[in-house]
Amino acid sequence: MLGKLLKYEWRGLRLPFLIMLVVLAGTTILTCGVIFTINPKFDETIVGYSVIALIFSILLYYFGIIGCSLGTSLIVVIRFYKTCYTDQGYLTHTLPVSAKQLLNMKIFAAIITNLLMILAIVTSIFVIMQVGLHHIFSFVPDYMEYTYDQFYREFIEIFFDAFRDFEDDFGISFGLYFAYLIVYSLISLIANIIIIFGCVSLGQLFTKHRIVGAIAAYFIVQFILQILGYFNAIPMYKRMLRGSYRDDITMFGVMSPTMNMTLLTVVIVAVIMYFINLHMMTKKLNLE
Amino acid sequence: MNVNENNSIAYTQGDGTQRDNTQNTSVYTSDNLVSTQQIQTQNSLLHSDENIAHTPVNLQKDFVQSDENIEEVLEKEPSENVQNPYAINTPLLQLNDLCKRYPGMGNYMSVFHLNLTILRGRIIGLLGPNGCGKTTLIKMINGLLAPTCGTVLINGMEPCPATKKVISYLPERTYLDNGMKVSQMVEYFSDFYEDFSTEKAYNMLGALGISSDARLKTLSKGTKEKVQLILVMSRQADLYILDEPIAGVDPAARDYILRTIITNYNPGSTIILSTHLISDIENVLDDVIFMKNGSLMLYTSVDSIRSQMGKSVDTYFREVYAC
Repeated sequence: MLGKLLKYEWRGLRLPFLIMLVVLAGTTILTCGVIFTINPKFDETIVGYSVIALIFSILLYYFGIIGCSLGTSLIVVIRFYKTCYTDQGYLTHTLPVSAKQLLNMKIFAAIITNLLMILAIVTSIFVIMQVGLHHIFSFVPDYMEYTYDQFYREFIEIFFDAFRDFEDDFGISFGLYFAYLIVYSLISLIANIIIIFGCVSLGQLFTKHRIVGAIAAYFIVQFILQILGYFNAIPMYKRMLRGSYRDDITMFGVMSPTMNMTLLTVVIVAVIMYFINLHMMTKKLNLE
Repeated sequence: MNVNENNSIAYTQGDGTQRDNTQNTSVYTSDNLVSTQQIQTQNSLLHSDENIAHTPVNLQKDFVQSDENIEEVLEKEPSENVQNPYAINTPLLQLNDLCKRYPGMGNYMSVFHLNLTILRGRIIGLLGPNGCGKTTLIKMINGLLAPTCGTVLINGMEPCPATKKVISYLPERTYLDNGMKVSQMVEYFSDFYEDFSTEKAYNMLGALGISSDARLKTLSKGTKEKVQLILVMSRQADLYILDEPIAGVDPAARDYILRTIITNYNPGSTIILSTHLISDIENVLDDVIFMKNGSLMLYTSVDSIRSQMGKSVDTYFREVYAC
């Protein structure tokens, strides 16, 4: 039954998700197009054209990927709202599955959709970097004897040097820190999806203004998280102060307690929201 | 469907056998028929917690079908109960002291201490004016609303995935995903409900000339309702709950819908049909439940109303609910 739930959840999400991918692809192509217009020849007619085009392409791409990632979050939330709390809810909640199975599958589908979008964005960044660098290097005069391949080799060397220095500066190896960030981001992503779904469910308490109620619930939860965030930052400030007169405190040592506590707070709030969500879907369900 | 000598209705079931309303009356007594005046007296009671202590519970007992009579029938061996071959010892649906109070409605109870036992093999009309609690009751049976107090038992179980497997529910609104094709909805039902017959669904869709490739958003409201009904009636469920299935459709479509209900339901199962359009459906009903202000006013057979009151259900309803 879980597989069937996932199948139909994905079927409902795939079209809007494909639209998001098309938007991302469009943004990537457009950004590449703007990058291709960067040409020193144009600088002769329009002063500083290359710089303007570069800034424009970066801004265009930045807003493009922000739009796509927000759009992906929005489509999973709208899907959750539509299938659980509008007319479609009559079908969803009379399926022979438990509320827990239903919720778990919706969360799982939302995580997969968001991860796919992250993957698409990373791919897109890679494409733009390659296209941009190749294009810029095409203007490097031959007499300089500096090619893209040379740049790439130097970049890798600098990168690995930075790896070696990273542990001395940060107090943790780059690989470990990267893994830590991946796990941190993944847990944050899951927690945020659960929190947003919980807010949508809480909004159902406001029978006349369900969407406004959901948005209000989200802002209240975020406000609570912000307040808790200030308390979580206290250890960081303490260590920063201590670090000003001690040499044995590393950057990671200063940041990690706050990061861990912030993550723990988000996870606790997400767990609470998960149970609120289940409660709303079973005991407080009130479809129009 | 035809009218026999006793003015009761015989109709063809899904398996092709003839079924007669007069045969399934063993579970009912006619004692529960009350005068319009008595019912109206009860109607004047408001349903709030303050009133519980006054009279309604005792008064209600006079109106509802006596539990003893049901128990007598249930105690019989199945072989003795020849008049209803599908009746088995577990009631299909049992509502015990069921109440529902919505938040923000003060003390007003949308469903008020309702007790009801429904057996298998019946077609029951759930009747009452707007706002009398029919839809609230139906939602509670389907697990779409949690009761404020009391219990709903389907095959002895509270609403859960197991009970949802045996209930086929048609809500009063269109619950289908407009982005899906008709064939995808058939696949959806087939995937989730083990008792769903794809063949039956496609046969009915074909008979109505509804293309399975059509997207639901391209269909008219009436056609969507037909598709929804086809999906619901293509299941071999124990309990069909149809909330206002004929309210928004033209008279020709009403006939089709009623025909679909009668010819496609599982004979061992029960149909609860909620509507205001009594004259359209009373010929297919075995029993009727009258509700007002969240209370059960009457639960009896259609024949009892006809024989004892000398009126059709529609006429009797109009008297009971006269403004």
